[in-house]
Amino acid sequence: MTDSEVMLRRQAQWQKDRCSLSWPEKIRMAERVRGSAERLRDRSNRARPQTLSLSGSAPTAIRRRER
Amino acid sequence: MKELARLLNEMQQAGVVRTYALFGATAQMRYTEPVATLDADVLVAVASEDRLDPLREIYDFCAARGYRAEGEAIQVGAWPAQFIPAFNPLTVEAMEEAVPADFDGVPLRVVRADHLAVIALSVGRAKDWARILALLESDSVSRKAIAELAARHGLADAWQWFQSRFLND
Repeated sequence: MTDSEVMLRRQAQWQKDRCSLSWPEKIRMAERVRGSAERLRDRSNRARPQTLSLSGSAPTAIRRRER
Repeated sequence: MKELARLLNEMQQAGVVRTYALFGATAQMRYTEPVATLDADVLVAVASEDRLDPLREIYDFCAARGYRAEGEAIQVGAWPAQFIPAFNPLTVEAMEEAVPADFDGVPLRVVRADHLAVIALSVGRAKDWARILALLESDSVSRKAIAELAARHGLADAWQWFQSRFLND
């Protein structure tokens, strides 16, 4: 078995082991994941206008709407 | 979730809902490994089903306790809760036959694994197929139980299709 296969097998086992956690613990885990996802989304939303401004002009769709 | 459990029990005691049951991903996690989800889905039997806005009393009850609506959901503690009136015989049965669970000492009604699987079968998005597979893999439901429940709710063909696509070798 290659190292990658061993790693994949270990990861699968780790995921399966999480089934045996208590339901409240699994819910709290999901809350943490959701919190992280929201923070990432907020960050990318904040970053997007900066990226647009670097292009020097508004994207086509916005220019059309402004006309 | 504990806060949502308390609120749901209060709602039932006050007669705002006749009964309720948690379903969707938060219910699934009772049986499988944790999954990512944005909100908590709750099936409800409202007291006044014939109204044009059957959820009005729920929203009013929540607002009176300081829980505000955000889009389609009501923010309760960490969870945006979506209230969905049971809308067909399958969801009514799932809600009525939900099992009492315990969330950190607070009772909370949760849809059974077989009902979760068959509701997922009836909805049929990619994440619903994944839910059925996760429930089967965790041994919280058998193929036989899903087949029987699906047949009873006119979903035998859907189950056949699912089996041929995802389960048959």
